[in-house]
Order: sequence, then structure tokens, then C-alpha cells
Amino acid sequence: MKRQRALEKTIEATLFGAAAVSVLAVILITVFLFQSGLPLFGKVKVSEFLFSTDWAPTAATPRFGILSFIVGSFSVTGLSLLFAVPVGLAVGIYLAELAEKKNSRLIRSAVELLAGIPSVIYGLFGIAVISAASRTLFGGSGYSVLSAAIVLAIMTLPTIINVTEVSLRALPRELKEGSLALGATEWQTIGKVLVPAARSGIVAGVILGMGRAIGETMAVLMVGGNAPIMPTGLNSMVRTLTMNIITDMSYATGDHLTSLFATGIVLFAFILILNLGVQLILKRTISQVEGAAGA
Amino acid sequence: MKKILALCLVAAIALAGAFAQTLSGTFTWGGSTTVGPIAQQALEQFLKDNPGVKASYELTGSGAGVKSLLAGQYSLAGSSAELNADQIAAGAVATPIAMDGLSVVANKNVKLANLTKANLAKIFHGEITNWKNVGGPDMRIVVVNRDESSGTFASFYDIFLKSFYVDRTSAFTKDAIVTKENGEVAAKVTATPGSIGYVGIAFADQVIKAGGRELMVDGVAPTVANVIAKKYAGSRYLYAVTKGAPVAGSVEKAFIDFILSAKGQAIVKSADFIPLVKK
Repeated sequence: MKRQRALEKTIEATLFGAAAVSVLAVILITVFLFQSGLPLFGKVKVSEFLFSTDWAPTAATPRFGILSFIVGSFSVTGLSLLFAVPVGLAVGIYLAELAEKKNSRLIRSAVELLAGIPSVIYGLFGIAVISAASRTLFGGSGYSVLSAAIVLAIMTLPTIINVTEVSLRALPRELKEGSLALGATEWQTIGKVLVPAARSGIVAGVILGMGRAIGETMAVLMVGGNAPIMPTGLNSMVRTLTMNIITDMSYATGDHLTSLFATGIVLFAFILILNLGVQLILKRTISQVEGAAGA
Repeated sequence: MKKILALCLVAAIALAGAFAQTLSGTFTWGGSTTVGPIAQQALEQFLKDNPGVKASYELTGSGAGVKSLLAGQYSLAGSSAELNADQIAAGAVATPIAMDGLSVVANKNVKLANLTKANLAKIFHGEITNWKNVGGPDMRIVVVNRDESSGTFASFYDIFLKSFYVDRTSAFTKDAIVTKENGEVAAKVTATPGSIGYVGIAFADQVIKAGGRELMVDGVAPTVANVIAKKYAGSRYLYAVTKGAPVAGSVEKAFIDFILSAKGQAIVKSADFIPLVKK
């Protein structure tokens, strides 16, 4: 008995240790990032860093303004969601409510495959197909906000589809049955009852997709053009926060290096806000579902 | 007789042992992507000749290579640009290992054979934005530039832009595609109509094979003969960089000597670069 107790205690401690490692990793990364990036603000004003578009880190009098990259990140991400959300929602609803088993299995494995493709492959596809198509259709160089957004849209689809499907499936069956019993058509049931009920989960999925889009580096680097300018339109070249970090990281020294870590802090803050948003929404969903089950 | 033979054998083994001992160990080298083909092909032969040595060359860019060298991560770096004052002050020493020409390349639909140095500078500055202004077709110019870590970027600035635009940061237009490798320039230039970029002479073939074109500068083509004769404006040296002068007996020195040997310079030539002319 005693020995068994000891064994259990050991296992428990090991598992706790493993859990602690992941928490520790997050803490270490945060501390490291802030420690490496914050010293910049001793030399550059926060307002200048965030609201100036002048990025010339290797000039005689270096200037560090990342507004263009913040705008770049958000315009590319926002536009990609504009493409991905309608399609992702449609596919998610189809999979959860309408598809026959055979079809849904095929589509689901295709979506899973889409999620597993390395981002560099998306980038190559982007250069070969999307850039070329955007050039023929809309002019410009083809390396643009639009191309990057389309590539990101394809990349965020799996997240949005999965979460939409899962949150629709998690709804209590009574909702659907009740609606149909009251004489609503299947389409009315989906549009007026099920989707609104799963709204919070779907929103969380969209925000998760947004997180993936804003953090993506390789694929957008290959199709965005990477020019350090303020994007002025869909055809304009774009550099995002992540692209800025990876382009300069290999050679930056001194304040320039610190400014890249500071760029990382800004990115970190955005993603943190998105994640907190997801958790808040999920919490609300859970209490809603529990409430529905209780009633 | 037998004794002498045995003695010889012992001596030979001892000698071989001594050689193996002087040249052994594991090394990480890296730097310029332009130097890459030379370094990697020379390494292949060098490692065959010296089985005790393990070494690799990473493609990180000239600036990054010298930075890693000075930080102690590399014991040898490749650079396609002359060292700047800061790097020399920090103890970096460059040994020329080959010559290279900078080729100006453009997309195949840019029907143009020659650019003047002044017009080339104006295009990369963003002052000229349409090919019709330099005698080409009516088409928007898409500038393909390199990131600032690149030795090719530094050389291109030194050779072609510096005399017109003194401040390096504002010398280049910001409305340009920024790429991280010669290969990426080749890919983007051949894929993008109206584009212009620059690569090491060895990579111009890639562009031409893929259907792009190489431009003359001031009426001189970037041929090997023109680079050696320094007729072509875009000529430069490639360097092996060490922290402090190469130490006699070190693996780094042996490797540099190997590249400078007839065998090594043949590798330089087969990698489409230009061997150093013997003085």
C-alpha cells in the first residue's frame, strides 16, 4: 500500500513538473522579450515608435517607427478574415448540419490536410499562382496586401471551419429538434436558431484564426513584397510586424536589435489581447450552454 | 632492410598521425550567400582530404556572417563586401579568395540592352519609375532589392549608388521588393514583369535560363574578361574573413590556402566565379 502511494505521489509530481515547464516557458519568453526590447524606450519615445512611419534603423541618425508595419499587419489580417470568415462559416455549417457522412469525411480530411501544409509551401503557391493572378487581374507588381491576404485567408480557413463545426455540434439537440417541431424549415433552423446559439464559439474561432494570421511570417514574407512603406491600397507592397523582425534579425546590432525585440513586444501584446478575448468569449459560451442545459 | 622498412612505416604512421592531429575538430563557418557555392564545393573536397575535420558553411549573409564571426560563433566567415571600419576595428581580417561581377538583371519583357550608371542609380533611388524614361517599353519599373545584411547589397550600393546618393539609407527607394537571397532575386525578377534586380554573376545564368535578361552597364557587358580587366563597373572581390590574421597551422588557414591553390581556384571557376589572377 505504502509503496503504491509513493508511486502515485511520484507520478503526480512528474506530471506537475511537466505542467510547470510549459508555464515556465511562457514566463521565460515574456521576461526575455521585455528585457531585450524595453531598453529601446530609453532612447526612443513610445509614441514615436508606435506612431511614426519612418523606419531607417541603420541610418546615421537611426529612426525607429513601426506604424507602417502595424498597419500592414492589421490590413493584411483584416482583409484575410473578410475572405476566410464567410467561406469558413459556410463550410463549418455544411459539415455540422448538412453533409452526408461520406462527403463530410472527405471534406474534413481535406481541411485537416490544409492545416498541415507548411507555410513555406503556401508562400511558393502564393508566388506562382496568387501573385501572378493578382498582377494580371489588378495590375501592380503582384506582391501586395491583396496577395498576402488571400494566402492568409486560405491558411486560416481550417481553424475557422473546425471551430464553427465543433461549436455547432456542441449545441444541445433539443434546440434543433424544437425548432423543426415548431415548423421551421431546416434553413430557418440553421440561420435563426443554431448559428446564433453557437455565436460565441464561432467568434472565438474567428479570433483564433486572426491570431494565426497576425503571427504568420514565412508565407506573407514571400508574397507581401516586404517593402518598408505604409500600404496605400490593395496593390501596395506591405511589410508586417513579423516580416520586419525576420528581415533584419540576422544582422541587426545595438539599438536596431533592441527595436526588433520591441517590435516583438507589440506583436506579443496584440496576440495577448486576442487570446484574452477568446477566453472571455469561451467562458461566456460555457455558462450559456450550462444555462441552457439547466433550463 | 626489414628494420629500415619498419622504421619508415613507423615514421609514416607518426607523420600521418601528426597531420591528423593538426587538422581535426568540428567547425561552423558561414556568411555570404554569394560565397556559398565556392565555400560548399571547396569544403566537400577539403573534408575528403582531411578526414579528421568536420565543418559546415551556413548561408546567413555577409553582415550576419561577420557578426557571428566576431561573436565567436564562427571561426571563419564568407563575405562578398569589403569590411567596414567597425568590423576592421573589431579585429576582422579579410583575405580575397575570388572575383565576382554584379549583374543587373531584368524581366524578359523589359526590352532593353543597356543602362547608364546614372540611370541605374536613379531607378534604384526611385527617381525613374517607368522603363520608357530610359528607352524601354512604357511599363512601371518594379525594383527588387536585397536586405541590408547582404554583401551584394553593400557592394551594389558602393559601386553604383554611392557616388550619386551619399546617405546609404535614403539611397534606395523604399517602394521595392526586399529579398533575402540571390536565388530569391532570380525567382522574383523572372516572375515579375517590369522588374529589375541585381545578383552575383554566378546567379545571372539562373535568371537567363529562366527567361530573364542581363543588362549592360554603360555599354559594357558583365563578362568574365570585362570583370578581370576591370572594364565592367560592377566588379568586386569575395573574401574569407577571420578574427585576426589567419593563424599558421590552423584549419581555417589550411582551408583558405586550399581555396587559393590551383585546385581551389578551379572550384571557384566551376562555381561560375572568377579565379584570382596570379600576380
